[in-house]
Amino acid sequence: MSWSDYRKPLRAINFICHAPQAKSVSLVGDFNQWNPSSHPMKQMPDRSWLLTVELKHGHHRYAFLVDNVLTLDPKAQGVTRTDKGERVSLVPVS
Amino acid sequence: MSKKTRPTPGGSSPRATSPRSAARRARIHPVVIYPFVQPRDFTDVEALFDLVGRLDGDRARYARPITVMDKKTCRAPACARALAKFRAQVVERHSDVLDAWCVDTCQMWYAGLGLAHERGRPGDVYWLIPGDFNYGSAVGREVLDRLHDLPEIVLELKQDLCIGEIATDHRNSKQLIDTYGTFALLYNWFPVEAREIREYTERPRSEFFAVEHRFLDRCLLQRWYPYEQTVVMLLQAVFNQRKISRFFVGDITDLPEGGESLTSAMQQVERTERVLKNVWRDRHQGRKDWIQAYRSLETQSDRVRRTALMILENLLH
Repeated sequence: MSWSDYRKPLRAINFICHAPQAKSVSLVGDFNQWNPSSHPMKQMPDRSWLLTVELKHGHHRYAFLVDNVLTLDPKAQGVTRTDKGERVSLVPVS
Repeated sequence: MSKKTRPTPGGSSPRATSPRSAARRARIHPVVIYPFVQPRDFTDVEALFDLVGRLDGDRARYARPITVMDKKTCRAPACARALAKFRAQVVERHSDVLDAWCVDTCQMWYAGLGLAHERGRPGDVYWLIPGDFNYGSAVGREVLDRLHDLPEIVLELKQDLCIGEIATDHRNSKQLIDTYGTFALLYNWFPVEAREIREYTERPRSEFFAVEHRFLDRCLLQRWYPYEQTVVMLLQAVFNQRKISRFFVGDITDLPEGGESLTSAMQQVERTERVLKNVWRDRHQGRKDWIQAYRSLETQSDRVRRTALMILENLLH
């Protein structure tokens, strides 16, 4: 059992990416095996991109794919590395 | 990014697991550095030991906390009776107290982390909790509720070092010291490593961190420099391609005793320079031409330090 399995309830997390000029933005992370097509984000009227994802308790690594470029979240609560050594953002869920 | 959740309170307990799985699980070793100068008001340390008590009550996840106390703190006459009572009723109840004669806080870190490491095993995580912060304030309590994330990030994400970062504005004395002193000196002595460190944190001297067993093992067995251990650990992590994380723990300020005067700022810059010189020499003294390179860097370092002190004098005086 991993540490993130202790508390199972899912929590809704809003991911917001400010990239008004981007043609496409998707959310990638441990929770979707860094799959670029599984979590496309939706552009909002203010031109920022939004996606709400339910995540389980623990700390999750993620990044935005802005026009296929891996981009850190400047408002993330933390920064960490993937197993491949890439710098990515960090979100705690409780 | 905004989110709908609030950080987990530090004392909330995980769901109970079977003894067998608990026996295999890595543990977190809290190491509390008791304030060197005992504040007359116990509000902040009481708030801190509320957290320590909760950690002590969760033996499945946490090892028995260790509190390092400098013997001089216990002998200070100003509040000796009150401290003795607090120590007996609270500190010793919730933690094992390590009394030591310490020349400075770094020695307290070394003693505490060393003892915790002796009690640990591979996979465990060591969590340093500095005592001299305003935990009793509303913001301080919020920070206390977030600190537990540091060791959990190391465990869950298999990191080697997680640095807790405090939000400050650009006029904050620690921020000024790091901008004009710490990073300027780091760029002089270790330019490549400094760039990587800055990708993670603007607070390379943070006292909030968690470290994994094997990486701590390496740090403990190397020369323990008498100053600025977080900077040294960050350098060691970069030298050895360890995994570093940074996590925001909130807004907090030093207690009044820890506020930066110009003299204190100068001392901090000077000792950062001293430790960087030591680390550089230790890494390069095997090279044939190291002395020439060292003298060149030392000349530059002297200019960097003088400039930093001049700027800090203008900003802090």
